[in-house]
Amino acid sequence: MIQLYNIFKTYNGKIPALNDISLLIKEGAFVFITGPSGAGKSTLLKLLYRWENFDSGQVLVNGMNIAKIKYTKLHLLRRNIGVVFQDYKLLPNRTVFENVAFAKEVVGASTKTIRFKTLDSLKKVGLLDKRDSYPLQLSGGEQQRVAIARAIVNSPKILLADEPTGNLDPDMAMEIVRLFQSANERGMTVVFATHNHDLVAKSKYPFIMLNRGSIVRS
Amino acid sequence: MISTHLKTAIQNLKSNKQVGIVTITTFAIAFSIFGLFLVIFVNLNSILATWSKQVQIVVYLKDDISLEERQALEDLIPKNPDVESATFVPKELAWKNFKNDFSANADILNSLDINPLPASYNLQFKQSADRVERIREFAETLSRKPGVESLEYGEKWISRFEQFMVFLRVFLLAVGGLLSLGLIFILANTIKLSVVSRQAEIELMLLIGATHRFIKGPFLVEGMLQGFLGAVISLILLKGIHIYMKFQFLESIQSILRGGEILFISPLHSLMLISIGLFVGWIGSYISINQFLFAGDLS
Repeated sequence: MIQLYNIFKTYNGKIPALNDISLLIKEGAFVFITGPSGAGKSTLLKLLYRWENFDSGQVLVNGMNIAKIKYTKLHLLRRNIGVVFQDYKLLPNRTVFENVAFAKEVVGASTKTIRFKTLDSLKKVGLLDKRDSYPLQLSGGEQQRVAIARAIVNSPKILLADEPTGNLDPDMAMEIVRLFQSANERGMTVVFATHNHDLVAKSKYPFIMLNRGSIVRS
Repeated sequence: MISTHLKTAIQNLKSNKQVGIVTITTFAIAFSIFGLFLVIFVNLNSILATWSKQVQIVVYLKDDISLEERQALEDLIPKNPDVESATFVPKELAWKNFKNDFSANADILNSLDINPLPASYNLQFKQSADRVERIREFAETLSRKPGVESLEYGEKWISRFEQFMVFLRVFLLAVGGLLSLGLIFILANTIKLSVVSRQAEIELMLLIGATHRFIKGPFLVEGMLQGFLGAVISLILLKGIHIYMKFQFLESIQSILRGGEILFISPLHSLMLISIGLFVGWIGSYISINQFLFAGDLS
């Protein structure tokens, strides 16, 4: 569950980014965050895994008041959140398998678990046969599927997507949305930020529209 | 976990080969300078020990010493358990020896019709750890006895040499401290380059829930590895210099000092040098990676 209460956020104390945002995303929900570039979609997501701080208000993620988590204990929050980015953030010198396995390695899983979970994750995104390839040998859509496999490998409660279809053609974009749908069907809460209205219109899920840091429709 | 960190650290060193080589070389040079001072210190200490062993007391007696006073001295000297032997050198024998030693000036010496030299006792002392201190104490006792003109036992220059060694010890500590501090800064900057080159990976690690300890591990191992390699290379260099010095100068030194050896630093000192390398490497990387990790602390 994600709860935001009267969130205000500025960059450098001057440039407003989020303006009195309050929202509730229930456990197991699938929600689009939409709006034009610069509306505050990415900033909103960054608050949820505390990559950015906010000026005032309260954010509760899985019942945790995230402002109260010590900086050195942030991994406890982030291990329950999977994040997918527009630019994939894959490590170019590691294979597909190693990229996905990396997320399990950092949480200290055993070699056996890492192997099992990584292969399972790659199977879910349909990339088992590409496990020994390097990211740069893959298409944009395939790279994004690797990023999704990495985000779900630790079975997080929440899956955040920050413009994951921004670099993809419409068919591939729908394919990516479908992968998030199946993650949602397995019980993950999905928050999907996109400026692509068609994508939102074609799916059955609720959306929150932001403009200049404020909610304009939900 | 440590083997994973070591593997990653070696990978990092390989991918940043040039920077790694520069750091290790800097370490090796700095440790060689420090080690060289240490070698000098060890050798001077050994010379001091050799000279201390040669210290003896010569007790010069007054010409008008009474029989009772001489008897009192002869009773006192054997009572001291540190005295190995005591030889009495009468006035005449002293003069004869002197004339033999300076036979080139025999004409002048023969023209003197008086014997200016006093009678004396030459005291040899047993070896012990605090030999010089014991000699010093006994010399003081003897100097207060009636009939004693003066004493000679090289105490003053031994004291000066000891003071010099104390200074050298402080100097070594200061040089070691300053070099270590400089190395910490150099290493912190080198590791910073390594950190920046892996920024994307570190950010990803933070995103997917890695602990700070997990992120720091490979960098700390990398720093320690550089410090260790630098120290080991410096030891090899020093050994090379030591062998060369022995080959070139041992004979001349032995003839000047009547014996002696060019010593290398002890295994304990070598271990200490390696430990300092490891510590400096660790602290340098710790500063650097912590600066990077906590730059993102928004709380």
